[in-house]
Amino acid sequence: MRSRHDWVIWAFFWSGIALTALFVGGPVLNALWLSLHQASSFIAEPRFVGLGNYVRVVQEADFWRAMGNGVIYAVASIVLQVVIGIAFAMVLNQPFFGQRLVRGLATLPYLLPTVVVALTFQWLADGSVGLLTVLARDLGLGTIPWFEQPATARASVVLASVWLWTPFVTICVLAGLQTIPPALYEAAKVDGAGPVSRFLHVTLPQLKPVLTVVVLLRAVWMFNKFDVIWLLTRGGPLGATEHLPILAYKRAFSQFDVGGGAAVATVSFLILMTIVTIYIRLFPLEEKR
Amino acid sequence: MSKTFQGPSRRAILTVGAGAAAATAFPMPAVHAQTKELRFLNAEPAVDSVRALRVAAAQYEKEKGVKVTIDTVPSGDAYTRTISAIKGGRPYDISTIIFAAHVLTLANEGQLTPITELVNKHKWGKRILFPVNGQHYWYMYDYNLSWLFYRKDLYEAQKLEVPTTWAGLLENCRRTSSSDGGNQRFGMATPIGSNDATSWMSIAYMWAEGVSLFDDAWKNTFATDENRKRTAAYLDFFADLYKTMPPGMTQAGFGQITAAFSSGQATHAPYAGRMIEILEQRAPQLADKYGMMPYPDSAGKGAAVNHGYDGWVVGKTPMAEEAVRFLEWFSDAHYINFLHSAPLHFQPPRLDIYDDPRWRAHPLIEKHAAAVKTMQGFLDDPKITIRSIDTEGPAPDLRPAKVFESFLIPEMIQNKVLRNMASDACVEEAVAKMNRVIA
Repeated sequence: MRSRHDWVIWAFFWSGIALTALFVGGPVLNALWLSLHQASSFIAEPRFVGLGNYVRVVQEADFWRAMGNGVIYAVASIVLQVVIGIAFAMVLNQPFFGQRLVRGLATLPYLLPTVVVALTFQWLADGSVGLLTVLARDLGLGTIPWFEQPATARASVVLASVWLWTPFVTICVLAGLQTIPPALYEAAKVDGAGPVSRFLHVTLPQLKPVLTVVVLLRAVWMFNKFDVIWLLTRGGPLGATEHLPILAYKRAFSQFDVGGGAAVATVSFLILMTIVTIYIRLFPLEEKR
Repeated sequence: MSKTFQGPSRRAILTVGAGAAAATAFPMPAVHAQTKELRFLNAEPAVDSVRALRVAAAQYEKEKGVKVTIDTVPSGDAYTRTISAIKGGRPYDISTIIFAAHVLTLANEGQLTPITELVNKHKWGKRILFPVNGQHYWYMYDYNLSWLFYRKDLYEAQKLEVPTTWAGLLENCRRTSSSDGGNQRFGMATPIGSNDATSWMSIAYMWAEGVSLFDDAWKNTFATDENRKRTAAYLDFFADLYKTMPPGMTQAGFGQITAAFSSGQATHAPYAGRMIEILEQRAPQLADKYGMMPYPDSAGKGAAVNHGYDGWVVGKTPMAEEAVRFLEWFSDAHYINFLHSAPLHFQPPRLDIYDDPRWRAHPLIEKHAAAVKTMQGFLDDPKITIRSIDTEGPAPDLRPAKVFESFLIPEMIQNKVLRNMASDACVEEAVAKMNRVIA
């Protein structure tokens, strides 16, 4: 006999499926459909071109440049966020005066809207009057061309992303650290393990489940991240920070190529799916029994 | 005592239902009296412009009994909102459009109502009407020409002439640069990023030099030997000009350029009449110390201003006829009121306005009469070229729009000044990209 409880569970389950189908499945299918058509705008009559848009976009140098930029941006951001996030979490896990206040402050950038962080960073790095620019100049480092050169522009968007999202890693790792039994550290100490050894052989293995999820989430988010790059550089200079989401947006909304934009977005989606599948195979989210 | 929740009773449901029905029915006479509504998408978010439209809307409702709802979005979002409204089944009766290709797209898809008769009632300035297939769809409300501002006081102090050549401009930029008193002053502030600001503000030197992108038969004239040479010369000049600019110009948009000039950081900067309004509001000490000039060429033979424009279109909606009537009603006193909401920036495209005492009576227009005369001169002077990337060619078309949106010309500038590439190679790359874009 089914209880009333089962009915509620099924209601929530199917509501979730229906909403996902409507707000995720629908747009994905629509993008797929658009990617098989050619249209100069969203109101133009689309013309079926089969896989023509895919063939066209993957033959273009812009696509591969955007792909490379996306990989560089995602990998650099994730590595820095994870390394710095773990370091912060280790510090915040130690007892010290004002620990709670510092923990709160450490999460602040993550709580701010992206547009606020991006504009703040832009002002800090302003070529003439930015706080960071003036500081660097006063320290004798000269005028840093934050957004003027392709390499520095890439570094700047990575830096802003690290500033914005490292607190997420810190919070997750801090939560993970608090679940590690102190007895493990005491046993390691008795065995003569130093701080580095304890970190490598106790802390990191214990954090593996948390880090697996954190890296996965950050990879998905950073690969798809649009807002911070758009607000900071719009993909410039010379396309140095233009990655696949920005290329797709420009194609569809600015360059009168809705089908091409949808094709870029679909390829980006497929690449991400492949990466996530491989990642989950390599680092299963549940331990095998 | 425990009480189990048993859900709403039938009585409660009936009571709530009856109440809701009564509440819905109660204001119905008012709703029926107000069935006519015009939806107007405004893309001038400045408070004075919104207010001018709302005042007009209120008066129209009072006089004609037709409600006019004003929705306001930033200008960059106007087309997306217009398209979304069409796709959503509630198209705007009147929309602001700021890009010729968008009018073309909407007209070609049968989404616009022609307003040829209304447009033909007035005499318009040059290159401001963009008919599609012989019909007018766009009621323009301003020229957004871009020209160069310079600091007249610094020119006078150093006895400098207003330049008519690139070399002259460079020399003046260098001579007015300064680092006295710890505050560095730069010669020129002009954007170089891949954005609209660069396409609008930084390339009219090319137009002055005679460069074009398309001829009347849509041939790619940018690729001709003559235009390649002219463009390479422009890039050589621009590389020298870049040395007089403050850092951060790849990030500069409209706001940063006006800020650089109004704060005294730069001696020269491009912009339209908004610059004077900004000086009046934020730097009144400079409001009588600016001069204006068109972009020069290399030899002093030609000059140019970069084209810009904004206007309203009428959608193909059940209220289209009423929308045209509204525009006709609006095009008299309220049109002038709207222009007064940015009195020096909204340069009238209608030539009758320049002689209209109501328009001339605005205090800022009176105060800056010399500037207004110069602005009008940009339209009248046959030696001054008015061009822009997106309006190249004989008629509105997606090809120049694609060239504009691909930012190949700003990238050409960046290749020169950021990568220090040879000018010929920069032009070659731009020509190749243009060929790909318009293919």
